[in-house]
Amino acid sequence: MGADVSVVAASESGCHLFGDGCGFEAPTVGSLFFPTPWVDFGLAGTSGLTKYYLVAVVALIVAASFWYFTTRRAKVVPGRGQSVAELLVGFLRDQVTRTTMGKEGDKYLPLMVTLFLFIFCMNVMGIIPGLQLPVTSNLAFPAVLALFIFILWNVVGIRRHGVGAHFKARLVPGGVPGWILPVVVPIEALSNFVIRPATHMIRLFATMFAGHLLLALFAAAGFYMFNPTSPMGPLFGAISVGYSGIALLGFLVFTAFELFIMAVQAYVFVLLSSIYLGEAMEGAH
Amino acid sequence: MPTVYLAAEENVLRIHWDEFTFGLIAFLIILGVVYKMWPRLTKALDERADQIEGGIARAQKAEAEADEIRQQYREKLEEAHREYAQELEKAKEQRAAIIAEAREEAQVEARRIIDAAHAQIEADRQQAFVQLKGEIGTLSTELASRIVGESLSDSAAQNRVIDRFLDELEQSEGKQQAEVR
Repeated sequence: MGADVSVVAASESGCHLFGDGCGFEAPTVGSLFFPTPWVDFGLAGTSGLTKYYLVAVVALIVAASFWYFTTRRAKVVPGRGQSVAELLVGFLRDQVTRTTMGKEGDKYLPLMVTLFLFIFCMNVMGIIPGLQLPVTSNLAFPAVLALFIFILWNVVGIRRHGVGAHFKARLVPGGVPGWILPVVVPIEALSNFVIRPATHMIRLFATMFAGHLLLALFAAAGFYMFNPTSPMGPLFGAISVGYSGIALLGFLVFTAFELFIMAVQAYVFVLLSSIYLGEAMEGAH
Repeated sequence: MPTVYLAAEENVLRIHWDEFTFGLIAFLIILGVVYKMWPRLTKALDERADQIEGGIARAQKAEAEADEIRQQYREKLEEAHREYAQELEKAKEQRAAIIAEAREEAQVEARRIIDAAHAQIEADRQQAFVQLKGEIGTLSTELASRIVGESLSDSAAQNRVIDRFLDELEQSEGKQQAEVR
C-alpha cells in the first residue's frame, strides 16, 4: 500500500472479515505518519505543507490561548480558568523545578510551563476526533524542544561556571583516577552531548508514535472486522460484529490510556529538561 | 510522490527542516505568550500570599491583644475584689466606731439633759419657795390685820375669818402649783 493511502481509505477499500477473500491490511507507517502534502515546497529535506502543520497550528492556538485566557485577568481570588493555570504552575513548581533546581529554578518555571503546555497539546491532538494525529509523533517537533533545552543547558552551564569548568564538569566525572580518563572522557562526551539530547527527543517521539500506531491498528481492525452483511451468512456477520465490538472496546480503553501517557510524557520531558538545567546550574559534582 | 523517494521518506527518524522551523516558531510564540502573561499570574499569587500572611499576622496580633486585655481585666477584677474586701472591712470598722461614738454622744447628751432638768427643777423649787415665803408673810400680815380689825368677841365671826383665810390660802397655793407646772 502506498504512502498516500490513509486509514479511512484502507477501511473503505472494501476488505472485511468473512468477506470475499481479501485479508486485513494493517495501517502502514507511511499512511499514518507521512501524510500527503497539500503543497509541496519542492525543496530537499522539506515535507511540504502536511497535516502536521495544521494540527501543530491547532496545538499552538490551544496552548497559547489557554494560557492567555486563563491568566489574562489574574486575580487574587482566582476564577475557574485561573485555578487550572495555577494548578499547573503549582504542580510544575513543586514537582519539577523546586525538586531539581531549588528556589533558583523558579525563573525557568515559565519555560517549563511552556514546554508542558505545548507538548501536552501536541500529544493530545492524537485523540482529538477529526485531527487524530499527535504532532510529537513527527520527530522534528520533539527535536526542536530537545535541542532548545540542550543549547540552554550549555548556555546556563557556561554562564555560571565558564566554558572550561562547564565542559570539564560534563566530561570529567569527579573521583575518577587519571589513568582511566582516556576511556571515560569519550564515553561521557558521547553520553552527555549526543545520546542524552537524542534520547530526550526520541523518548517523547517514540511513545507518541507507538501509541498512535496502536490506536490506528485498533481502529483499522475494528473497521476490518465489522461485516454484518457477510457473504458467509448471518452467523458470521454476528461474530464479525462481536469482534468489532472488542476492537472498539480496546480502542476506547487505549484512548483513555493514551491520554494518560500523553500527560505523563509531557511531564517526563519537562522533568528531564529541568534535571538537565539543574545539573548545569550545579556545575561539577 | 515518486516511489524512489518513498524509502527515504518513510524513515520515521527524519527531521524535515521546514517542520523543525515551524515547530521552533510555534514554541517561541507560546513561550512569548507565557512570558508575557507571567507577571500577571505571579502578581496575583504574590498578592494572595501577602494577604494570607497579612491575615495570619493580623489574627495573631489580635489574639495577642485579646490575651493582654483579658489579663488586664482579670487583674483589674482581682484588684476590685481586693479593694471591695478592704472597703468592707473599713466600713465595718467605721460603723462600729460611729455606733460607739454615737452611743457615747447620746449618753453624754442624756446626762446633760437630765442634769439640766435637775437644775431647772431645783431652780423652780427655789423660786417657788421664795415666792411662797413672801406670800406667806403677806398673808400672815393680812390675816393678822383682819383678826385685829374684826370684833374679837364674836367667836362665830372669828371662825368665819379663819375659814376664809384658809380658803384663800388654798386657792393661792393651787394657782402657784399650776404656775410651777
